[in-house]
Amino acid sequence: MQYSQKVLDHFMHPHNVGKMENPDAVATEGSPSCGDQVTVYLKIDKDSQVIEDISFLSYGCASNIATASIITDLAKGKSLEEAKKITYADAMEALDGLPPVKVHCSVLAADTLQTAISNYEIEHGLKEVPNFGKDTILAELKKIIYPQVGQDIVTLKMVKYVGFSDGEVLIDLNMLSFDSWRDNVVEEIHEHLEKYPEVKKIKVNLP
Amino acid sequence: MKSGSIYLDNCVTSPMAPEVLDAMMPYFTERFWFPGSFYSTGESTNDALSGFTHIIAEAIGASDAEIHFTSGGTLANNIAIKGLAASAKKGHVICSVVDYPDLLTNAAWLEKQGFEVSYLPADREARIDLNALRQAIRPDTFLFMTTVVNHVVGTIQPLKEIHEILKAADHKIYFHADAGQAFGKMPLQVDDYGIDTMSISAHKIHGPQGIGALYQRKGVRLGQTIHGIKRADNLQTGGLSIALIAGFAKAVELNFADLPGSIRQLRELSDYLYARLQEKIDYIELNGATGEERAPHNINVSIDYIEGESITMMLDMHGITVATGSACASQGLKASYVLMAIGKNHVQSHGSMKFTISRYTTREQLDFTVDKLAEITKELRARSPLFNAMKNQEK
Repeated sequence: MQYSQKVLDHFMHPHNVGKMENPDAVATEGSPSCGDQVTVYLKIDKDSQVIEDISFLSYGCASNIATASIITDLAKGKSLEEAKKITYADAMEALDGLPPVKVHCSVLAADTLQTAISNYEIEHGLKEVPNFGKDTILAELKKIIYPQVGQDIVTLKMVKYVGFSDGEVLIDLNMLSFDSWRDNVVEEIHEHLEKYPEVKKIKVNLP
Repeated sequence: MKSGSIYLDNCVTSPMAPEVLDAMMPYFTERFWFPGSFYSTGESTNDALSGFTHIIAEAIGASDAEIHFTSGGTLANNIAIKGLAASAKKGHVICSVVDYPDLLTNAAWLEKQGFEVSYLPADREARIDLNALRQAIRPDTFLFMTTVVNHVVGTIQPLKEIHEILKAADHKIYFHADAGQAFGKMPLQVDDYGIDTMSISAHKIHGPQGIGALYQRKGVRLGQTIHGIKRADNLQTGGLSIALIAGFAKAVELNFADLPGSIRQLRELSDYLYARLQEKIDYIELNGATGEERAPHNINVSIDYIEGESITMMLDMHGITVATGSACASQGLKASYVLMAIGKNHVQSHGSMKFTISRYTTREQLDFTVDKLAEITKELRARSPLFNAMKNQEK
């Protein structure tokens, strides 16, 4: 795997790694079945709403560890509002890029940070629990990276239709029948949506 | 230590023996002629070729005329499987879910051509299910094929029992063996198991890359699938590299001069490796069979709670080359199908490490590898949410 020197540095000597005792917020995303899981812990100053301390744990490949490390660097010392703007693209840029098949790792790291912040806000009455709906599904699909080119499937216009009714998610995908990444993408769709209690059934249609 | 200085991925390819290079050199330079030419130089190449062929044939208990040279195991597998199918024209084939990709991709191709294929399940040690084999046999079954030594976990398939079952069928079922991992690692005489066709290759036993052979039992008809100028026979069209064949024969000579000794040496080393792994690393599990039912050069373990690409990369920084079954390290981001098929979970597959040793591997190298691996495991587990969660539960 061709990794940049920055990725290798963060993989070999990650910043802010380790479990945090008594965090103010915590989030875990990903699953062992997909080979990557990240936990992010936050310590937040109540008055200033600044991320005073942050740490992570990562089960996964080198880019998984490196992207989690860089995300914690980017978020540390930032206010929640500033930290909410951190995206996977920021993580990739800070690491001098990632191979296309590894872009999903940076998405997972950024996602876990955002979930931790969201958990904090919900717990402290700063925002309401969002209603599950088509927008939630679309937001999740935007996190799924087509490994061949390293961009998400929504931007690549691979998602033709999204529907949600009676707990059933219906997705029409535009992927060629001989596309070798079909299984990966479908598996990821399941992984991203199954965590919502509102989702009872997922149906993905492929041509 | 420089990159690749400890090489433990010998099942993929192995370093060429210095004696092999010496044996090849004259045939690259002054004796470069193709065999079969009418002029005297071609005749002398013919004589050399006969000698080399004999050495290789003898190693598997075949006669010289039953050996055809190929560019390697994959071409040999293709000529045999497609050739048997071409002769049969239609019918049913049996293989297993844990077979080497050469066999599985050929099976998939046969299905597209209208043949039917049964994929036998395997047990937790990757041994094929013999009852399922008995039940799978149909009146139109013409071929059973297997990977003699599993390419991932090193389990040796029960060839004797397979032979008995095939023999008991009321019609002829051809037996094709992919011996890529088995050749030179176990006694493998084709007559002992009624093998009809078999693929072997040189570079896995310290021979040169780019040369292998197909064994074809006398009387077994293979439809011709490769067409071209006939230099040796219908199966072996095109020119042969006499230099590579010379190297192949030398590698066989070195490996088979004392086969029981070669096997013993490998087994002692892999037993030593596994003992050291167990001693230094906890939450570790052997994948595949144990003892005599395992090829002597393969140790495959799952290291729980951590992921194989990370392990591989850290070992690589210490100059140690080892393979992993992790999806993250594979081109298609898929977990090892063999480990998943034998009931391992994703974490066990992602954390699987395959060490394959050779006669050039030393105990010192294995000590260094295990020491580094133990450090790496400790480091990655400290970073792992799965390991932390498990430790929390233990409290």
